[in-house]
Amino acid sequence: MNRVLACLFWLAVGLVLLFITLPLAVVVAASLSPSSAVTFLPWEWTLDWYGALLTDRWLQPFLLSVRIATLVAAISGVLGILAAYAIVYERIPGATAIMAGLLSPLSVPQIVKGVAIVLFLSIIGLQGILGTPALIAAHVVLALPFVTRMAATSLANFDGNLDRAAQSLGATKRQRLQHIVLPMIKPGVLSGVTFAFIISFNNIPLSVFLVRPGDTTLPIAVINYLEYSLDPVMAAVNVASMIFILAVIFLFEKIGGFSAQLHGGSK
Amino acid sequence: MNNYDIELVSVSKSFAGLPVVEDLNLQIPRGEFVSILGPSGCGKTTTLNMIAGFNTPSSGDVRVRGKSQTRVPPERRNLGLVFQNYALFPHMTVAENVGFGLRMRGTPKAEIGPAVEAALRSVRLDGLGARYPKALSGGQQQRVALARAIAPRPTVLLLDEPLSNLDLKLREAMRIELKEIHEQLGMTFVYVTHDQEEAMAMSDRIVIMWQGAIVQQGEPDSIYRNPATRFVADFIGRSNILSVSWSAGEAAFLTLNVDGSPIVLRSACLTDPQGIRSCCIRPESIVLLDGTQELMPGQNRLDGVVRRIVNLGAHQELLVDIADGLALTVLVRSGRSSSPPEPGSTVTLGIDPHDVQVLSD
Ligand SMILES: Nc1ncnc2c1ncn2[C@@H]1O[C@H](COP(=O)(O)OP(=O)(O)O)[C@@H](O)[C@H]1O
Ligand SMILES: [Mg+2]
Repeated sequence: MNRVLACLFWLAVGLVLLFITLPLAVVVAASLSPSSAVTFLPWEWTLDWYGALLTDRWLQPFLLSVRIATLVAAISGVLGILAAYAIVYERIPGATAIMAGLLSPLSVPQIVKGVAIVLFLSIIGLQGILGTPALIAAHVVLALPFVTRMAATSLANFDGNLDRAAQSLGATKRQRLQHIVLPMIKPGVLSGVTFAFIISFNNIPLSVFLVRPGDTTLPIAVINYLEYSLDPVMAAVNVASMIFILAVIFLFEKIGGFSAQLHGGSK
Repeated sequence: MNNYDIELVSVSKSFAGLPVVEDLNLQIPRGEFVSILGPSGCGKTTTLNMIAGFNTPSSGDVRVRGKSQTRVPPERRNLGLVFQNYALFPHMTVAENVGFGLRMRGTPKAEIGPAVEAALRSVRLDGLGARYPKALSGGQQQRVALARAIAPRPTVLLLDEPLSNLDLKLREAMRIELKEIHEQLGMTFVYVTHDQEEAMAMSDRIVIMWQGAIVQQGEPDSIYRNPATRFVADFIGRSNILSVSWSAGEAAFLTLNVDGSPIVLRSACLTDPQGIRSCCIRPESIVLLDGTQELMPGQNRLDGVVRRIVNLGAHQELLVDIADGLALTVLVRSGRSSSPPEPGSTVTLGIDPHDVQVLSD
């Protein structure tokens, strides 16, 4: 009986993994195909389509997306830490209501949010910031719930005795935040910040309303390109951004650098 | 200037209107190892937190070396703290943990290194400074916590059930070690525990708390021999507690009737006989008389029937019925020659009047 269950379990796991990876494999294969029609399992291989990415047409949107995503990650990281600090650590009055407010963007569809932001900006006469500044602001609103939530969870799991121990050892509040609280919640904050980066870097539904023509982010450039052609360049763009995102995740994981303490061992 | 490191003056604390500590008065002389002992929930941690500054007393005053601490935040009280769950900083090495207090006070780097090493040496962890806490056993982690607390040379070390998370063998070894560290440092230790053996083994003085109040304090020996209340007699060591009333005699020759039975006991206690409500007899102070022994003048002599025997290895624990609904627990040493009586057999118990401790509740 247990045997059968185990077999079924691993079968299910295998199918899920296959379901996740197979489309990616198709895209990778397509990006390497010499034929300009998108095909799966081509018999010859080429990297030509990747060469096409190294032109302004793709490099400009890529760099813009990286710049925006980096700023969004940094800004939402700082704001998320501050919000979580006030809500969880200081337990300011109305903490629960503030948390609910900060998480509320999660419950509004992004398209609705996009329209709302455009309307709002034109009503208050700030159409001028449409484009990069508006993109950054909108992405921060979108990413903040994730960062705040993760930072708040880390802070809530933080053992108050550590703080008390540090205090009894003479650490002032500023010293405790710097030497104890921040390092302890760093892994949580960093995963929140990683989310923020990816959310911004991949975003289409909000960005569509806010980009200025001729100054687009990478996903919007992809959408624009798709309107006219479906060829292996598309596949190459997607594979390249996937690799980039993996690299970013890996980098943040490294910065988190918590494995040493979690598994013991010397510095 | 008195010689007290810590004074609690009529300290009370309530949480949301519920009193947890009530009118506590306590003086802790410099250099003493004082245990605050009581069952869990009696307010020990709350009391310790008021000394450390993490709880503000609802009323009363906490003084450290004669100075009121009302306006002094915890980080400026210079008191060391050791927690039950160690509370080591997991992202710092052992050496960084131990040096933390000195670093935060701006001690020059050149002095921190040697101080850290000295502290690690005194808890016998030299050489482990580069490890992370997670790589150490529970006992080692608690020693790091101890070294971290003593490295900045606090006025007083406050310990809140520091051994409770360790297994029995280690706990017993650490008791001795803690006592040695205390002697070596000459620092005042305030040790909170619910474990009476631990408190008996280490303390110069024990303060017994119950329901937010101090019920008795004194040297371990004197508390054991002269418990002031039924609660203390029951909580410290094992005891037979009998409800009694005074029938005759004065001073060292009190005659007591055991309530609800014809049994009469003599006690050599010096108290106001009117206030006597019960008495306590330690199981190990009762002797089995085998008929050959002469009764000392005035000694209590009781006949009984052995109901059951529990073999404790070094001792045999006998439950002896001495009257209807009245039984005494008797502890006799297991001897090579003498075999303990069988269940059901008749025995004679001898109790010295000095071992019949009268209680007022
Ligand atoms: N912050 C608090 N809020 C409300 N009640 C508390 C708080 N801290 C302690 N108590 C209550 O006070 C009583 C004594 O707690 P504590 O001092 O921790 O006891 P001990 O350390 O002796 O086990 C307990 O009944 C506990 O529930
Ligand atoms: Mg406690």
